[in-house]
Amino acid sequence: MQHALSVARPPVLTFPGRSGETGARGGSLADVLRAVASGDQDAFARLYADYSRMVHAILLGRVPRRDVDDLVQDVFMTAYTRLGALRNPEAFGGWIAAIARNHATDHLRRSHEQEALPDEMPGGDPIEAETLAILDVVHTLPEAYRETLLMRLVEGMSGQEIADRTGLSSGSVRVNLHRGMKLLREKLGAEGYD
Amino acid sequence: MTNDYLWDPSATPDPDVERFERALGRLRSTPPVPVLADMVRRKPDATGPIRWRTARFLAPSLAAAAAVALMIASTWQTTRSAASWEVASLEGQPRVGSTVITETGRIAVGQTLTTDASSRARLDINTLGAVTIETNSRVRLLAARADQYRLALERGTLHAVIVAPPRQFVVDTPSSRATDLGCAYTLHVDEDGTGLLSVTAGWVSFEYRGRESFVPAGASARTDPEFGPGTPRYDVADQRFRDELDLVDEGPRMKGYAMGLAYVLEHASVHDAMTLWHLIPRVASADRGAVVDALAARAPMPDSVTRDAVMRLDKAALDQWWDALGLGEANWWRMWTVTPR
Repeated sequence: MQHALSVARPPVLTFPGRSGETGARGGSLADVLRAVASGDQDAFARLYADYSRMVHAILLGRVPRRDVDDLVQDVFMTAYTRLGALRNPEAFGGWIAAIARNHATDHLRRSHEQEALPDEMPGGDPIEAETLAILDVVHTLPEAYRETLLMRLVEGMSGQEIADRTGLSSGSVRVNLHRGMKLLREKLGAEGYD
Repeated sequence: MTNDYLWDPSATPDPDVERFERALGRLRSTPPVPVLADMVRRKPDATGPIRWRTARFLAPSLAAAAAVALMIASTWQTTRSAASWEVASLEGQPRVGSTVITETGRIAVGQTLTTDASSRARLDINTLGAVTIETNSRVRLLAARADQYRLALERGTLHAVIVAPPRQFVVDTPSSRATDLGCAYTLHVDEDGTGLLSVTAGWVSFEYRGRESFVPAGASARTDPEFGPGTPRYDVADQRFRDELDLVDEGPRMKGYAMGLAYVLEHASVHDAMTLWHLIPRVASADRGAVVDALAARAPMPDSVTRDAVMRLDKAALDQWWDALGLGEANWWRMWTVTPR
């Protein structure tokens, strides 16, 4: 077990957590965050495994595909260094989602100030034209639908998983999925993809 | 209800949703987990995330805090070199992730260094050596352990000058893995995944899915996603020889293979024995005898080696013949472990 900074372990903290909720595998989310704060690399890996798909989907809905992987890492770096600002561990999902959205906004702002690169850089994994065409249409959907659909269709998360990670209610996620899918079909149909 | 599948992927599949899953699922990606120690080092003023409602708990004991700080500093010192490399901008504004490097910065495991048409950068790898990243390149740091340093060159060009023990520095490309055997070399990868390795000092092994090339100083080898590392050839060989060898590398089913092989076997010099040795297992079995004979005419087969053994691709026989070429012993580079891709 790797403890990169185990010497920096803070005193035990107590968080009010929902009964029975486990954030990352092997403990409550508060426990995992506490371990991460102490520099536990394994706990950080668990947190990353549980939330990186959500962060990836949020970024994929906002920035060019070639930049998403790097930004996922940047988001987790920022979250780690600002973990002290998180007051309620149950809000972690919404909190890191907000960091991801802010990073995407900052990234786009910086990108506009620099030389533009084509969105699709050859040499990476070949992505079929159909995939990119659908992604283009997803980008035109309202934010709530866009993010939820990408978590479901790209990352393979279930509706309940999306609700657990984002902090949204199950009802909201269900509505976002169904309305988003309906809108996606309509827009693709209008572009001749049906 | 059909749409239940949209909510629950374990429900009866909805063909329409499945179609979207197949198409968009190609965009799924899991970048490597960042290393915490390196993140703390990047933000030393933040002292990690310990401000998380803990400062007041730590405050009562200044002595303990000082001890913690000392130990953190010690940990930084011991993990710094292993967790990240220094990046220096040589020209323009290279980027590590989304961060622009104006003078120097660091790259952590999992991060990418990107240069555009007007930027270049240098990676300083502690005592191991240095790697220059040319324009329009993208590299990712895959591992920075004490026993292995690994980069992925996704596109562009890098120059590596490595002074560390052999086999510690590895560069992955889309169609090969270059393992340093104590050397200096240039590696280029095109946007379609093809590439070229040119060695200027020492040796580099080039490997992909069991196909190996051992490339000495003064020689080059192509790499291609279709067939992996190409047959090494000395750079002094004439252009026609190199072109025909390229056709041979594309395989027996490709147009030009037979004529290319005939040209190579006829025009190979004594100096090209290294190239012919590599061709023995690569050509069609029906052509193997001709290659063995061509090599034997330029570098006599050792007495301990039989033609039958070479024709069977007996590893010991091939290695003994290699040793007789005077290019160093095969055992030397056989020591490294090939990691399955």
